[in-house]
Amino acid sequence: MFHFEVVTNWIDALLREHLSEGWTLLIEFILIGVVILTVYSVLALILIYLERKVCAFFQCRIGPNRVGPFGVLQSVADMVKILLKEIIKINKVDPFLFRLACYLVIIASICTFGAIPFDKGLQAVDFNIGVFYLLAVSSIGVVGILIAGWSSNNKYTLIGAMRSGAQLISYELSCGLSLLAIVVLSGTMQLSQIVEQQADAWFIFKGHIPALIAFIIYLIAGHAETNRGPFDLPEAESELTAGYHTEYSGIQFGFFYLAEYLNMFIIAAIAATVFLGGWMPLHIPGWESFNGIMDYIPPVLWFLGKTFFCIFLALWVRWSFPRLRIDQLLSLEWKILMPISLINILLMTLLVL
Amino acid sequence: MVKYIKNLLLGIWHLLQGLYIAWLNFVRPKVTEQYPENRGKVFPHERLRGELIMPHNENNEHKCTACGICETNCPNGTIQVISKKVSDEETGKEKRVLDRYTYDLGCCIYCALCTMTCPQGAIAWSTNFEHALFTKAKLVQQLNHEGSTLMKKKKE
Amino acid sequence: MKAIDDLLLQFPYATVEQKDKFYSVSVPKENIHETASALRNNDTVPFDFLIDIVGMDYGDTLGVIYILSSSLYPTYILRLKTETPEREDPLLDSLHELWDSAGLYEREVHDFFGIRFINHPDMRRLFLRQDWKGYPLRKDYDADPAINPIPMDNEDLDDMENIPVIEVNHGQKFEHQHKLFEADEYVVNFGPQHPATHGVLHLRVSLDGEIIKKIDPIFGYIHRGIEKMCETYAYPQMLHLPDRMDYVSGPINRHGLCLAIEKGLELEVPERAHYIRTIIDELGRIASHLLGWGCIAMDMGAITAFVYGMRDREKIMDIFEETCGGRLMANYSVIGGVMADIHPNFQRKVKEFIPYMRKMLKEHHLLFTGNPIARDRMDGVGYLSKEKAIALGATGPTGRASGWSNDIRKIEPYAAYPHVDFKEMLRTDGMTFDRYVIRLDEIAESLHIIEQLIDNIPEGDYAAKTKAVIRLPEGEYFQRVENARGEFDVYINSRGDKYPYRVKFRSPSMTLVNTLKAIAVETKVADLIMLGGSLDYVVPCIDR
Repeated sequence: MFHFEVVTNWIDALLREHLSEGWTLLIEFILIGVVILTVYSVLALILIYLERKVCAFFQCRIGPNRVGPFGVLQSVADMVKILLKEIIKINKVDPFLFRLACYLVIIASICTFGAIPFDKGLQAVDFNIGVFYLLAVSSIGVVGILIAGWSSNNKYTLIGAMRSGAQLISYELSCGLSLLAIVVLSGTMQLSQIVEQQADAWFIFKGHIPALIAFIIYLIAGHAETNRGPFDLPEAESELTAGYHTEYSGIQFGFFYLAEYLNMFIIAAIAATVFLGGWMPLHIPGWESFNGIMDYIPPVLWFLGKTFFCIFLALWVRWSFPRLRIDQLLSLEWKILMPISLINILLMTLLVL
Repeated sequence: MVKYIKNLLLGIWHLLQGLYIAWLNFVRPKVTEQYPENRGKVFPHERLRGELIMPHNENNEHKCTACGICETNCPNGTIQVISKKVSDEETGKEKRVLDRYTYDLGCCIYCALCTMTCPQGAIAWSTNFEHALFTKAKLVQQLNHEGSTLMKKKKE
Repeated sequence: MKAIDDLLLQFPYATVEQKDKFYSVSVPKENIHETASALRNNDTVPFDFLIDIVGMDYGDTLGVIYILSSSLYPTYILRLKTETPEREDPLLDSLHELWDSAGLYEREVHDFFGIRFINHPDMRRLFLRQDWKGYPLRKDYDADPAINPIPMDNEDLDDMENIPVIEVNHGQKFEHQHKLFEADEYVVNFGPQHPATHGVLHLRVSLDGEIIKKIDPIFGYIHRGIEKMCETYAYPQMLHLPDRMDYVSGPINRHGLCLAIEKGLELEVPERAHYIRTIIDELGRIASHLLGWGCIAMDMGAITAFVYGMRDREKIMDIFEETCGGRLMANYSVIGGVMADIHPNFQRKVKEFIPYMRKMLKEHHLLFTGNPIARDRMDGVGYLSKEKAIALGATGPTGRASGWSNDIRKIEPYAAYPHVDFKEMLRTDGMTFDRYVIRLDEIAESLHIIEQLIDNIPEGDYAAKTKAVIRLPEGEYFQRVENARGEFDVYINSRGDKYPYRVKFRSPSMTLVNTLKAIAVETKVADLIMLGGSLDYVVPCIDR
C-alpha cells in the first residue's frame, strides 16, 4: 500500500537536512498553505461541475455541455467570469462588516478543510482533539453568515441570516452528538487514530445499529449545516431571492459560493472519515485475497470515492425534496434528530461497555 | 409513541419513494434538444408560424394584386402594401400593381389574419424561427423580390 | 325563475329585462346600495357571487354594471346597472362590504373611468400610476403622450401608501387620506422582480419576524390596455389578445371570446369545430395544471418537480405546434370554428400522450404528493372556507378545493362538453393541499374527457363561413368559460358597429390575488410563496 506519508516525510527530511528548524517550518507552512488552497479551489470547481451535471441528470437534462468535452471546463469558465466581475459597491451597507463576512465564511471552511485526513500523513492539522476542532472551527461560518445578513442592510438578507443562525446552531447539536457516538466507540478524538482503528472494519459495520443511526443523523444534520436544500432556508431562492448573500457580487459572492460547495465536501469527507473508514480500504475479515486486491487501490482514491459517494447522496436528496419551513426545520431537529441521537449515544455507550 | 414511530417510518417510506422517482429520471434518456447542433436534423412542424413570406415562382412572379386586404386586417400595422400605377401595354388602361410589400417582423404578432384573409393566397408562413438580427432596421423586410411581377392568370 | 321575479318585485324603481336566464336590472344610483344588499342578503336566491364589475362610459353618462350570480342557482345571471350623469366627479356607493371581491373591482373601475366609490376603504388607482392624468377607458380620453409622458423617475412610495377615502355625510362630502403602513412596520417587497411572483406582481408585505401581518398587492406593471385596444379592433382582430392574457391556458380564453362573438352573430358552429376546440382546451388545461403543479413545487423548493412538469408540458406544446402552428400562442379558434383542420398526426399523438401522462401523473404523486415535507407544509395552511371563496369570487380549482361547485363546464356546458361524461372535481377541506391535489385530479379528468372525444370527432367542416366584415348586432353579450384558473368571462357591448363599444374580460387571477391577501395573513413568509403557487394566478391575466 502506497501512502503519501512517504512523500511528506521525504520532503520534511530533505528540508531539515539543509536548513535550520525555523526555515524548515516556514517553508513547510507555505507549502501546505499553497497546496491546501489549490486543492480547495480545484475541488470546488470539480464539485460545481459535478453538482450541475448530477442535478441536470436528475432533471432529465444534459447539463453543461458547451465548454470543453462534456462541458468539463464550464466551471473553469465560470471561475474566470466571477474573478473578472465587478464588485458592486452598495451604498448603505456597513463596509467593514460587509467585507469581513465573506472572509469569515471561507476561513472557517478552509480551516476545517485542513483537518481532513486524505491519506496517512496527508493531513495538515492532526490534533488529538480533531473532532472537537472540526466542530468548533466550522461554526465560525455561522458568524460570517450572520454578519453578512446584518451588514447588507437588506430585508431579505436579514431574514436569511436569522434563519441561518437558528438553523446552524440547532443542527450543530445533532451533528456533534452523532460524532460523539463514534468518539465513544473509538475512544479517541484524533482523526488519524479514528481512521487507523478502522483498519479491520469500518465503524459503520463495527458499531452495529447505533453507528448506522449516527451515520444517517450525521448526514442529515451535516447536510443542514451546509445550507443546501431541503435545508436551504437561509438562501431560499424562491422566497428570499438569494438569502444572506443577496447583495454580494463578484468574488465576494464567489467566496460564499466556494465555501458552500466545500462545506458540502467537508461534511461528506468527515462522514467518510469517521463512519466509512476514511482512506482505509474495504477489508472483510477472513477474505485475505479480497483484502489484498483492495489494498492495491490507493488510499486517496478510497477516501475520495467514499466522499463522493456521500456527496452524491446529498445531491440526490437536494434535488428531490421540497424545502422545509422554519418551524418544521426546528421541530425536525429538536423533536426527532436530537432525541434519537441522545438515545443513540446511550446505546453506543452500552455497546462499548 | 407508537404513532410517532409509525409516522416517522411512513415519512421515511414516502421520502424513499421520492428518491426512487428521482433516480428513475436519473437513468432515463434525457430530453434536452442540442439546438445549434441538431440544426438541419430536427425541423419545426410545417404549420409553425415562423415569419411571413411571399412565395415567388421560377419566373420571379408572385400572386399579390396589391389589394391591401392584409394591410387593413393586420391589427398591428405590420404590413404595408405600397402600390404603383402602371399603364397596361396592351389595353392602355391604368392598373395598380405591387411596388413594395414591407413586413415588419418586429411588430408581427403572428395572428395569421393576413394569410387567412388574402384572397389570392399570395402570402404564406415559413417555418423559419431564427429571427435574430443585429439591427432593428433589418426587421423591416421587403417580401416581394426585386423586379418581380404579378403572376399571369392561366387562360382558360 | 319565479323566485328571482318575486325578488325583483321588491324594487319598484327598477327596470327589469329578462332574456332566458339573464336578468338586467337598472336602478337609479341612489338605490344601488339598497338593491344590492337586498339581492345579496335574502334567503330565497342570495346573489352571493359577484362575477365582475364592468365600468361603462355610455357617452353622456358613466355607469357601472354589477354582474351577479348565485351559488345556489349558478346558471342565472343578473346584471345590476346604475348610471351617473356626473362626469367631473362621479360618485357612487361602494358595495365592498357585500362582496369581498367588490373592493378590487371598484378600484379598477375607478382607475379607468374615474368613478369614485363612497365609503370604499381604499380608493387608490389599481393599475396605473397614482399620478396618471385622465381615465383611459372613457370615450373622451386624450391619449396624447404630452399629457402622460413616459415617467423617468420611480413612483413615489408615499403616493402608493396614501389611501384616499371618500365619505358622504348628510350630503356633505369628506375626503381624507390614511397611511397603509405604520412607520415602524417591517415592510418587505416581494416583486415586481422576484423569483416566485409568477410574473410581475408586486406584493408589499408587512412582517413580524417571519409572520405576515398585512399584504398589499400592486398590479399594473405589465398592463397593456387590452380592453381599450379591443375598442379599436374589428372582431377578428381582437382574437389574438385573449391568448396573451392568460398565456398558460390561452386556447381557452380565445375560445371564450369566439363563443361570445358567435353568440352575437347567432352563428352555427360545426360540431367538428366544437370537438376540436374542446380537445385543444383540455390539452391547454393539462398544460396549465402541469405548470401550476411545477410552480407550487418550485415555490416550495423542489426545482426538479418543475422541470418534470415542463417536460410533460412540452409534449402538449408539440401537439399544439403541429396542429395550431403556435406553441404558447396556439391562436387556433377563429370566429365560426378553428383556423385549420387538425393535422393528420393529431389523433395519433394525442392518443400516445394520454397513457404517457397517466404514467407520469403516478410518478408526480409519488414524487411530491406523498412527500412528508410537502404534506406537512401544505396541510393545515391557508384555509379558505366555502363562503369566503364565494365572497371572494375565487373560482376554478381554488373554489372547488373549498367545496364550491363552480365548474362552468357543468353549469353552462359549451362546445362539446354536453356530449362527454366527466366529474367535477370537488374537495371539501379548502386547505393548500386540496388546491394542490385538485389540479392533479383535474389533469386525470381532462385526460378522461380527451379520451372520449379523440376518436369521435365528427366529420364535416372545421369552420363555418363568416362574412368578410363582422358586425355584431346591438346588444350585450356575455360568455362564461372555464379557464384553468377559474371562470373567464367575456362581456361585449356592441352598438352594431364593426368595432365593439366596450369589451370586458373577467380575469380569474385577479380575485385569486385578492384571495391570497385574505388567506396569507398570519402565515409565514415561506407559506406566502407557497400559497401564491397553490392559487396559481397568472399576472398578465390581471394586467389586461
